[in-house]
Amino acid sequence: GCFLSCRFEDFEAGETEWKGLPGCQNVTRTECDFSSAITKYYDKHHVRIRAERREEVSPWSSIVEMTPYDIAQISPPGVELQSINGAIKIKVSPPEANQVQKMWIDSVSFKYNLVIWENSSNAEFRNRSIFPIDIIDDLAPDTTYCLKVQAIYPVDSKEGLFSPIRCVKTTRKAVNVLFCATNVSVLALNMKFYLHWNNKYKQHVTYNVQYLIAYLKKLYDDYSVKWLNVPGCENITDTQCNFSSIITATSGFFYLRVQAVNEYNKSCLSNEVKVDPLVTNEIGPPAVKVDISDVLLHIQISPPGGSENEVMRDHYDLSYRVLYWKNSSDNEEEIKVKEVKQTIGTISDLAPSTLYCVKVQALSKAYNKSSHFSKEECIKTPGDKILPLIVLATFVTALFAVLLVATPLGFALYQAYNKIKYVFFPSCQPPLNIEGFGGQLFNSPFLSPTEEPIENCCIVETIITEEANQIDFKDYKHSKQSSRDSGNYSNDDDTSGSKVSEETLEKEIV
Amino acid sequence: IMNAFGLIQIGLILLCTTTTSSLQCNHLPLQQRKVIENSLQLLDRMGKKFPQQCLREKKSFRFPEQVLKPRQKETVKMAIEEIFQHIFYIFSKNLTLAAWDGTALEQFQNGLYQQIEQLEACVIKKQTHYFRSKEVSRLKLKKYFQKIDCFLKDKQHNLCSWEISRAEMRRCLQLIDKVIRKL
Repeated sequence: GCFLSCRFEDFEAGETEWKGLPGCQNVTRTECDFSSAITKYYDKHHVRIRAERREEVSPWSSIVEMTPYDIAQISPPGVELQSINGAIKIKVSPPEANQVQKMWIDSVSFKYNLVIWENSSNAEFRNRSIFPIDIIDDLAPDTTYCLKVQAIYPVDSKEGLFSPIRCVKTTRKAVNVLFCATNVSVLALNMKFYLHWNNKYKQHVTYNVQYLIAYLKKLYDDYSVKWLNVPGCENITDTQCNFSSIITATSGFFYLRVQAVNEYNKSCLSNEVKVDPLVTNEIGPPAVKVDISDVLLHIQISPPGGSENEVMRDHYDLSYRVLYWKNSSDNEEEIKVKEVKQTIGTISDLAPSTLYCVKVQALSKAYNKSSHFSKEECIKTPGDKILPLIVLATFVTALFAVLLVATPLGFALYQAYNKIKYVFFPSCQPPLNIEGFGGQLFNSPFLSPTEEPIENCCIVETIITEEANQIDFKDYKHSKQSSRDSGNYSNDDDTSGSKVSEETLEKEIV
Repeated sequence: IMNAFGLIQIGLILLCTTTTSSLQCNHLPLQQRKVIENSLQLLDRMGKKFPQQCLREKKSFRFPEQVLKPRQKETVKMAIEEIFQHIFYIFSKNLTLAAWDGTALEQFQNGLYQQIEQLEACVIKKQTHYFRSKEVSRLKLKKYFQKIDCFLKDKQHNLCSWEISRAEMRRCLQLIDKVIRKL
């Protein structure tokens, strides 16, 4: 509490000195408005107060910390209403409209929230976001509605104070609306945009299709003068318009409407349609070509919109989903899926001699869009015709190889056999010059020599030293035998020969 | 009364369906990259090369880069939304003295507007205090744009002040472009 007078002081972040707040020195109230002193809205301020009574001064209070921007509230917007043709036209002016120094300098950033209700008991409150200049037309005619508007600063999620409640009565709807264009809708395929509408009134109506660049609605200026005619859709009698010329992938939103003009030059405007190009547009099916090589199926995909149409591929980040299956008589064939990013794909693990069918759709995962499937393309994998040929060829080659090896081998073996037979079992032929002697001559291998007169004398050999030297004896035997072989060998009969054998026998026994 | 009641019900249903069908946000990162690329090109196309005589009037505004660096994706997206809003505001002022290409300017503004609307619909804003403007870097961002606004007002929106602002906004968009590619 402050008894006699108060003194407020302010200290700004970044400054080093406390400053007295103008208009808040020597005040007797318990509150003070020091707005004029605040210029830096985004800086932290410290405020303190002390009481004074004549010469006595109280100690400074505890410091109040505050950032003007944080505690500031958005004031109510200005509202102008007009009841036209069963609808209410509303014009909102921003908070701080005529202030030189603004807390929210970017007044275009405000969004306005309208609350409207019927001025009757148990009326439901409707919330609706509106532009600074807008028309509320989903209302019943000849009814009183009450409304209030608040400004919202979206980035800070800050809601402002509501404007004072205003009530207005709607008029009757004008009757001469028979020739207006109705059911205005957009159909877009592969970035070709068409506007379609209906008209029950058949006679002498020409149309002008108009468009508005969406951001203009955000400004406080009157955008009704900013509608432009779509080139190629002026004074037409057709109930459709190709407005692709004004659209690009990055152009942002557009509003479209149809102005119908009857034979009396009276015009009527249709409802507006909002177009978000990449969201409104539908992706068309791609084209597919198939090719087969051995056990691989090659798929070539032509992107939707043609290969020149880079726009869709670029902005949608297109990918493709390939479906393939065996097209056989039994229907229980599983459909397989393959996802590819490029425009070429390969499928392996195929069965031979089978008809495979393929169809492809384009996908944009980012936009959650998919095209219709392309036409089915079928192709048959090469079959077993080749296999028997391969087997036969292999057999013949093998046979040939065997023969090639076996023939010289056989010949060589035959030659070898002949040689061996010749060596070990020769069939000898006697030489021609002794052939006539007859067989008798060859019975005994020894030729008997002519008998010569021989003295009958015997050689007596001493065998005394035999027992003493058995070892020598053996040697002696050997030498005797050898001498016998080489020395005079006279035998008139076989006795000497037999003697020798007897002697050797005797020696052996000893 | 019955008619009105029915009408109100239909109105509510329409309101609900429009809000639910507009919450498809998967395409936002891809679309944003494309729009920013396009916006930079449009900024260049709007006017000619930076005039030599304006060089000495050039001022350092010191964009608070830390506002684009926090850990949370949502905080960065909110900062980007705020930057877009401020740029949109600056280019909605009286540009007659700048003598720029009107078509390029319109396309530039429309692209920004679309992005602002998308971000508003898709970024979840928490109601907790720390997330709001009490965050120091967000206040620094507001100060930065306030400086540019004051600069333009002081120079009475003459050609040089516009050219300097355009160069500055180009820098902002380039920074956002870099950040978006990492998100």
